[in-house]
Amino acid sequence: MEIGKIDSVWRYPVKGMRGEEVPHIYTSYTGLMGDRIYGVVAADGDPGHPWHTGRNQEEFLLYKANYQSSDKLLLPDNLDASYSEWEPGIDPLYPDSDAFKVTVETPDGVIYDDIEGGTFITDLEKLTGRSLRIHTTQRGIFDARPVSIFSLSAAAKLSEELNMDIDKRRFRANFYVAWNNQDDPFYENSLVGKTLKIGEWLEVVIVERDPRCTMITLDPDTAEATPKLLQHVSRKHDGDAGVFAAVLRRGRVNKGDSIFLK
Amino acid sequence: MTEHHRDNLSDELSAERLVETFRLTLDGKEHIVPIAAEETLLQAALAAGIDAPHNCTKGRCGSCMSKLRNGQISMASTQALSPRNKERGYVLACQSRPSSSVPIWLDFDF
Repeated sequence: MEIGKIDSVWRYPVKGMRGEEVPHIYTSYTGLMGDRIYGVVAADGDPGHPWHTGRNQEEFLLYKANYQSSDKLLLPDNLDASYSEWEPGIDPLYPDSDAFKVTVETPDGVIYDDIEGGTFITDLEKLTGRSLRIHTTQRGIFDARPVSIFSLSAAAKLSEELNMDIDKRRFRANFYVAWNNQDDPFYENSLVGKTLKIGEWLEVVIVERDPRCTMITLDPDTAEATPKLLQHVSRKHDGDAGVFAAVLRRGRVNKGDSIFLK
Repeated sequence: MTEHHRDNLSDELSAERLVETFRLTLDGKEHIVPIAAEETLLQAALAAGIDAPHNCTKGRCGSCMSKLRNGQISMASTQALSPRNKERGYVLACQSRPSSSVPIWLDFDF
């Protein structure tokens, strides 16, 4: 049964920075290709969550990170072979590390072409007063689960409840979805424990609702904080917005793909 | 209008209290909230039946962020507070305990 469609696909090359919308993406057992490959670790961070993000420096959310070889990081070269020759599907070969290099632009227009070896960290340390370092992995740095899903209807309903425009990008999801269900704006909450097929290949199980923090209070275009949004989510929605998924069968996902309930 | 809560708070909790009550603003309403020794401001508010915003209660999510308009508190953790929010006088109610006898005013409508 089709229950909705993929409205847009997003990944976040550097954890905590602005995301990028992509037309399609390979999604592995460890999340979307190119999602949260880099993170900035703070020496004085919480041992359980040492990442420097907009929670520590609001404008960090406005930093733009783009892959210098973005097209190479959408679909692995041997993806088709890995579909057809091996069941239930072997995780395909990712490009070598050079393909994952990013360019970062700050809100002030300063551009860094090498965030691992250049002055990026030094400048960020001066700006924040923190001791920082870059951490990188090809398989994603997630707080909780490899895939996050948030519906357009949830954003619209929260906008209505708060009488303000709530930009979906506050929720930093991988897949923004449009549900066919018109009666429940938070339909994704009812899918916890259910298995979904997305597009031709991807299968995920919705494992839990997504508990939120101060990141959703930040306007994605200005980094101005609206704490009442998080207050509202905590009081009226049990602190959750959107859902997390785990990947059961990996594959390509396209903008506009149908979502089926298995 | 100001609402007073927990009129029957046990005397046994009063021995080490720096303040007996604190003022809390939420949804445009003023509350006078009794607080026991060792209680956080959030614990006291919830015990008084006030629907104060909260979620993790560990100082991580920031749902209970509020503005300390008066008084002095100490926080066990400030992980969810950015330097900017600290400068603005925001606190985490779940981590905040009175640290002096100066009357406390906690504002969730900041």
